[in-house]
Amino acid sequence: MIFPHKGNINFNVIFRILGLLLQIEAGFMLIPLAVCYIYSEYAESVSFLISIAITAGCGLLLMLLTKSRDNDMGKREGILLTALTWVLFSLFGMLPFIFGSADLDVASAYFETMSGFTTTGVSAIASVEDVAHGTLMWRAITHFVGGMGIILFTLAVIPMLNKKSGIQLFNAEVTGITHDKVRPRISHTAKSLWAIYFLLNSVLIVLLWIGPMNLFDSVCHAFSAIATGGFSTKNNSIEAYNSDYVKIVLSVFMFLSGANFGLLYYVVIGKPKSLFKNDTFRWYTYIVIGAVVIIAVRLWLTGRYPDVESLIVDTVFQVVTTITTTGFVGSDYLQWQGLAIMVILAIMIVGSCAGSTAGGFKIDRLVVFVRNFKNELYKIIHPNTVKAVRVNGKVLQPELVSKTNTFLLVYALLIFVGTAILTETGASFFDSLFMAISTLSNIGLGYGVSGSSFAGISDVGKWTMSVLMLLGRLELFTVLIIFTKHFWNKK
Amino acid sequence: MKIIIAGAGEVGVHLAKLLSSEGQDVIIVDPEESKLQALDSNYNLMTMTGRTTAFKTLNEANVSRADLFIAVTPFETRNIVSCSMAKNLGARKTVARIDNYEFLKPEYKPYFKSIGVDDLIYPEYFASTEIVSAMRHSWARNWFELYNGELLLTGVKLRENAKIVNIKLKDLAQSGHPFHVSAIRRRHETIIPRGNDHLEVGDIVYFTTQKGNIGKIIDACGKRPVNIKKILIMGGSRIAVRLVDMLDDSYDIKIIETDKEKCLKLVSQLPSNCSVVNGDARDFELLKEEGLANYDTFIALTDSSETNILACLTAKESGVLKTIAEVENIQFIAAAENLNIGTVINKKLLASSKIFQILLDFDSSNAKCLALTDAEVAELVVKEGSKITKATVKDLKLSQDMTIGGLIRDGKGMLVDGHTQIMAGDHVLVFCLSGAIHKIEKMFN
Repeated sequence: MIFPHKGNINFNVIFRILGLLLQIEAGFMLIPLAVCYIYSEYAESVSFLISIAITAGCGLLLMLLTKSRDNDMGKREGILLTALTWVLFSLFGMLPFIFGSADLDVASAYFETMSGFTTTGVSAIASVEDVAHGTLMWRAITHFVGGMGIILFTLAVIPMLNKKSGIQLFNAEVTGITHDKVRPRISHTAKSLWAIYFLLNSVLIVLLWIGPMNLFDSVCHAFSAIATGGFSTKNNSIEAYNSDYVKIVLSVFMFLSGANFGLLYYVVIGKPKSLFKNDTFRWYTYIVIGAVVIIAVRLWLTGRYPDVESLIVDTVFQVVTTITTTGFVGSDYLQWQGLAIMVILAIMIVGSCAGSTAGGFKIDRLVVFVRNFKNELYKIIHPNTVKAVRVNGKVLQPELVSKTNTFLLVYALLIFVGTAILTETGASFFDSLFMAISTLSNIGLGYGVSGSSFAGISDVGKWTMSVLMLLGRLELFTVLIIFTKHFWNKK
Repeated sequence: MKIIIAGAGEVGVHLAKLLSSEGQDVIIVDPEESKLQALDSNYNLMTMTGRTTAFKTLNEANVSRADLFIAVTPFETRNIVSCSMAKNLGARKTVARIDNYEFLKPEYKPYFKSIGVDDLIYPEYFASTEIVSAMRHSWARNWFELYNGELLLTGVKLRENAKIVNIKLKDLAQSGHPFHVSAIRRRHETIIPRGNDHLEVGDIVYFTTQKGNIGKIIDACGKRPVNIKKILIMGGSRIAVRLVDMLDDSYDIKIIETDKEKCLKLVSQLPSNCSVVNGDARDFELLKEEGLANYDTFIALTDSSETNILACLTAKESGVLKTIAEVENIQFIAAAENLNIGTVINKKLLASSKIFQILLDFDSSNAKCLALTDAEVAELVVKEGSKITKATVKDLKLSQDMTIGGLIRDGKGMLVDGHTQIMAGDHVLVFCLSGAIHKIEKMFN
């Protein structure tokens, strides 16, 4: 027995499942390998062959060193396994970037992969147009896998997790204050959500292909948009196509991907009403409309945008791509000043609905925070009133309200800490703040020093942002709890 | 199978956990969200907040597609109403928990069918039947009869005087004993034994045997049957009332109850062969005064599991032959079994036995089922062409967590060994650890 189950945590089951997951990751690497052959990039294919061998080999080793029995998994194991999965997936996923034509150093490669899996979309590659198709496809695949969640994918395909332990993993990975299941068994829930995800991807690929994009670019951009990632195959991102059709189609699909997939599932099975009854979705819509109006008016007043139609299209695209935390570039937002950029910053922090592929602190929490705040103000005048926070017509337990408020505070704290470290690497205050928010909220837009690419940021900055991306994707608590004493101590 | 459970009380929660670990699609509904939260975040099932008697809630839970609707709130009428509603909305089968013996009478069955209640569970009634059976077979811990007793499964605790201790099971089989050791409960786990395992003192051993061979088991285990006539009951609960109703006037029964009001009510409810004493049965002086040592059996049925266990221990020490305790905390059952408590009664397990039976009934008719703490025993009818008929038992490669104890062919019980070929139409007694019952269903269908 290599990993004895004596202590508080059953490492045996954790390593066994990690081994299995690495095999799955190696399996995903076969897709870019195939792409390499299609585009006759034989040098690139070697780098993928090596990466697959290492990943699958390590996975196999982990599985051989563990026992198949002793699959007992509790809360601690679920949390640890989820966090480790994301860390390890990025660790092995960075291999193609190191060996291949992207030719990155370890810090940049890890940063790039973490950015892919967490669907942030910041890139350390100076010019993506010079990189082989295989590597570009691998970047898109990391978005695709990370978007709906690595764990959620596993829950859908591995029957071994279709029991109690699966729930722990589900809770540790899925975003939001509560974790709603759409069907009774966890594997069915995972399958349903993946089905919706798959459907959105397929439709978007076809729509983009009809437009000015070739098949390869449509697949990469669809994976990127639905996962709300932000990797592009062009240095200028979406601007390169200079097509309103692409911007409008992407805006619609990114907007959908920012909605709760559980709700989309109900729409697909024929209960479209549930979408508009949902408080969060309504707020999400209003916030998008509000942001578009403010920015459009602000930009129009500067007088530099005489063409109203393209102003509206660009603004809508940029607002949607930002609030859904995708982070494509479809406008000249780098030139924006004053209120326009501040609104962008605000919706970057908020993000979209929980249960979507998007990041940010989630509109669900904003709803709870605002309603609780209103109650608190009301209570100052009427101290004896008993008031509850209602979301979607249901009363939220006071513990959950307090958890939400704590979450928001920690979120703000992390933005502060991230900014502080990044300013030390030489970036200006506003640029650092922008980068910290951009990575913690998994967006991927840069500003100022990181405006065109994150390639020039120092290694310390990249590692810091890698950590922020992971924290943001797993919604802080899953990662932070591992560093507490009581996590390891059962006393 | 899609199962909806209405009511997240003790029974409901237990059923939900159990059925979800059996691989069923479970949705549990309760008006109080706080009861559901822990379940939702820790178990592989879905929870829903809402009144169990509201069409809105039932529709949200998609009752129309449910295979089984189980109403187990503490309120009988609510259960019946929600079952009726569920059936009307399209649930395939409904089960309501009731609290009234009258409802179980066969003549009212068509009525309940007509309002949409297919089956009734009455845990208190199951408990009292269990107690009666335990008193009839006082030397046994569990007693499970199939097919009018043609085949029996009985759990016996081994003491130092048992003759079969420390013998390997394969040697036991060769010496021609007419029983099959189906399972062993040792300390906190249940073991499905293989030929190389042996029995130890303190084990609870589950034997499968035919009708005439009970005497030999009693002998092999060093037990002696007692005829129980004098019963002392602690706690005038609903089970106690049910129990007294079931027993005829040849029994001498005394109930000790702490609550004065309740005592008065009991006196008016109960027949004359039963006397009621107002007092605390934990008080040893009182027990002695009431002549504890003269009683054959002591049954503890208060609401507190701890009290029941301790009172039974006291009774055992002062010489009562058989003690029976109601233990509602499932975690305590193993501990209670290891202490010298004769039989442990648990309403939740009894209710789940019934539910398992209903589940198995969906595919194979008239299945019988017994739920133990971490194992289930089921009687299953073999279907034409099912997997289990394909080879002899030793070549079937049965999984480690199940065993076949015996079978009934043409109305005759017989034991099963490695060479037995199971045929279609046989009633087979299967013993399996929890979570494995769906594997078994696959073998038989």
